[in-house]
Amino acid sequence: MNFNFKNFVKSIFTYTPEKEYDFNLSEDPNVDNQNTNSESLEKSEDNTKIFQSVSVNLDYMKTKYNTLINSDVILREFTLNAKGKQYNAFIVYIDGMVNSQLLDDFILEPLMMRNKNNLHDGSQNKVVCEAVTNNITVRKVKKFDLSEYIMNCLVPQNSIKQVSDFEKIASGINSGNCALFVDTLSIAYDIEVKGFQQRNVEKPSNEIVIKGPHESFVENIRTNTSLLRRYSNTEQLIIENIEIGSITKTKCALCYVQNITNNDLIAEVKYRLNNISVDSLLSSGQLEQLIIDSNKLNVPQILSTERPDKAVTYLLAGRVIVLVNGSPYALIMPAILIDYLGSPDDKNLKPSFSNFLKGIRVLAAFITLLLPGFYVAITSFHQELLPTELLFSILASRENVPFPIIFEILLMEISFELIREAGLRVPSPIGPTIGIVGALVLGQAAVSAGIVSPILIIIVAITAIGSFAIPDFSFGFHLRISRFLFILLGYIAGFLGIALGLFIYASYLTEIKSFGVPYTLGLSPLDNVKGNNYYLPPVWKREYRASFLNTKKPKKQSKISMLWKNKTN
Amino acid sequence: MIKSKINTVEAIMVVLIISLTPSILSLPKNLIDTTRSSILINIIYVTIIAVAIAILIYKLLKNFSSSDIIDVSEYLGGKYFKSIIGTIFIIYFLVSSSWFLRNFCECLKIVYYPMTSVVFIIFAFIITTCLSSKLGFSTAAKVNIIVLPLLIFSVLFIFFANIRNFSFENIFPILGEGVFNTFVTGLGNLGAFTGIVILYFLPPFLKRPEDMKKITITTTIIAGIYLLFCVSIILFMFRFLLNVDEVMPLYYTTRYIEFGDFFQRLESFFLFIWILVIASFITINIRLSMEIMKKITNIQNVNSLVYSFGLIIFAISIFPKDYAVSKFLESTIYSYWTFGVSFALGIGILILANFKKRRSNHLPKQKEVLETND
Repeated sequence: MNFNFKNFVKSIFTYTPEKEYDFNLSEDPNVDNQNTNSESLEKSEDNTKIFQSVSVNLDYMKTKYNTLINSDVILREFTLNAKGKQYNAFIVYIDGMVNSQLLDDFILEPLMMRNKNNLHDGSQNKVVCEAVTNNITVRKVKKFDLSEYIMNCLVPQNSIKQVSDFEKIASGINSGNCALFVDTLSIAYDIEVKGFQQRNVEKPSNEIVIKGPHESFVENIRTNTSLLRRYSNTEQLIIENIEIGSITKTKCALCYVQNITNNDLIAEVKYRLNNISVDSLLSSGQLEQLIIDSNKLNVPQILSTERPDKAVTYLLAGRVIVLVNGSPYALIMPAILIDYLGSPDDKNLKPSFSNFLKGIRVLAAFITLLLPGFYVAITSFHQELLPTELLFSILASRENVPFPIIFEILLMEISFELIREAGLRVPSPIGPTIGIVGALVLGQAAVSAGIVSPILIIIVAITAIGSFAIPDFSFGFHLRISRFLFILLGYIAGFLGIALGLFIYASYLTEIKSFGVPYTLGLSPLDNVKGNNYYLPPVWKREYRASFLNTKKPKKQSKISMLWKNKTN
Repeated sequence: MIKSKINTVEAIMVVLIISLTPSILSLPKNLIDTTRSSILINIIYVTIIAVAIAILIYKLLKNFSSSDIIDVSEYLGGKYFKSIIGTIFIIYFLVSSSWFLRNFCECLKIVYYPMTSVVFIIFAFIITTCLSSKLGFSTAAKVNIIVLPLLIFSVLFIFFANIRNFSFENIFPILGEGVFNTFVTGLGNLGAFTGIVILYFLPPFLKRPEDMKKITITTTIIAGIYLLFCVSIILFMFRFLLNVDEVMPLYYTTRYIEFGDFFQRLESFFLFIWILVIASFITINIRLSMEIMKKITNIQNVNSLVYSFGLIIFAISIFPKDYAVSKFLESTIYSYWTFGVSFALGIGILILANFKKRRSNHLPKQKEVLETND
């Protein structure tokens, strides 16, 4: 907590009008209520057939992909030469998902260039056979078919499909293919030219899962957007470009699913991103600090992930993602307290397993925050809580320690933080060694030298293990810092100090909002928790999106999702 | 206009914290002292009456849509009357907070901090509650949602953990010291339902004012059941009540909880929970006083008053000379004080205002009748 004595005195003796920025996430007027009430979900399939007119198709695709705001969707118009005739045509693809070399050499070049084989009159029909009877010549001719001609003669690609509706063509584009539309044809070509730019497939270094995918974001924003496209596979995903930083002009991508995410939320994120006046922006961490509602208690208010699958899960849940060029992390907003204790693996495991692990994480958070403080409070003020034998053992172990308990615990906690920091800085092969040397050798030596008691080593070790069990680094850091406050309060006034500290902590926590959403939602306020309970229900029961997000589509799956079970033969 | 409103669950919790917090101190013992072994019947009896009173308050308030008693008193007697009533309620909230705080801190001092002056303990509470009150009524209500279940859990835990120490024959004679004592003198135990006073101020805070009836009935019934548990613990554990430690009888019962050889003295954990409860109770009282002050003075930023209110509570808390005086104030004067303000004053204003409204509704009609006759 940032305490400023001057402001404190000022707030007592002077009147300052409230200047609070108060954004509340209201209900979206475009909520698809039918979707909420109806048993079956609306099918998002776009069965519109492809038009013959290329200009109509062009307009349709522009609208469908929101090309005015969607920066990574490219529409390239050109003139196609076939049999000496020229046709208007265009291709659609997503920048970052296709191989540009393939596109230039094997699609645009053969279609646009004039070559000898392609020069003869297109109106000539090919004579298949000819017969003359009674001076009448009967010819069997094959009429010129442009669609076949393009498919068989002009595009030397191994994987090309003729598609007649927009749904299929959009699916191809979203997965990294290129769509070719030609005037006069009521079909389009789905041509495979996939070419994602990505570094070698690497496991995420900070968010390791057992059963989930092992891909992580990279520094290139286009690669990251392509990962989102690939995982989400929907043209409703909007990726808007926003530049931040007057010098660096860092590209940021604002991503959301158009038909799910609340419009107010999108507008608010956009508003904050567009109203940042900084010289430079080099990481998502900086951006996070620039767009959060308040900095009370230093709690993280935006989730940060290096996992595209996690990002897409949140996207489809109705949240907004911001990617920063040069940063392998996606920012997810809004975020609430219980999000920080969830792991990406939770949804891949059976609910009983993941709920057990979630319970363990809650325990870990409490241990990280309160265990050292409780230890100090109990040994200083509330010894009666301990059984007599244990109390004797603690007293005996502290007999040779010349320092007061507060000095002892601060010494060990700070030493531990030193070891952790040193472990991060030293080259990776030595890192684990530092940990072992620090934890075992130093701890043992400190006990032997009579500087600290063995019980305290156990307390510090359990606290450290607890802090490692918190899935989110920022939240774990916040708990690590806050625990020093509770140690001091426990030393000053025992349980009274810790309880009062906890009360203020809880008060500030409940007051915080992340993009208009109460931070402690799920815990308090108790209502409005549909679809976002901390403990996961079975997959078939996860019908709703989190209601606090006020999404346009509150329901995400049918009441009966396992249709196969209910079908009668 | 209230900036951030509270939902129905938060409202129920707010009423309950005001009703249930006195049980931590000497309330259960005071209740038993009045009726002795007939306390269980008495609690059921007063709960029914309290429900009836709560419904009456709801009916009387319903005619004024989402106005609170301050608005109603303005309607009844104008701005000056509003200010007087507002001031009485502010004094009520601040004084009751102070007495409870002082007594609880005295208990803490006796149990854990014998070398510390009670002033420091009170001051720690004042700082905490002021910081929390600054964040608004809605925040106080939200924190209360986390705190109040702990209080209920603690009492249920004490009940079930102590069940082997219960002497169920303590319930006899079932009518205690007689029918008159149980049902007439025992009416004084209505003072246990202090949370009713919050009902007067709830309507403007509610997101769904139509849930007022639900809130009224639910809170009174839960408070009744909770009190039943509280008094049962003490009644069944101690035959001779006079021998019970005067310092927080519920705390005293926690000393009997044992789980094997390891957990033998768990009372500190209960104190830990109750410290949170007292902090929440005072925070809500301060915040309510601030909201009333805002209404009667039209002050723009009421947050600037939080430290002043904190200091008033601090001053009133340290005013009693010793624990005996503060205990007398809390156990004896408080119930009269509650009766006077919660029931007599509040219901009186509402009844008069309803009469006035009915009269004003009838006046034009009478005029019409008169004109027709002419």
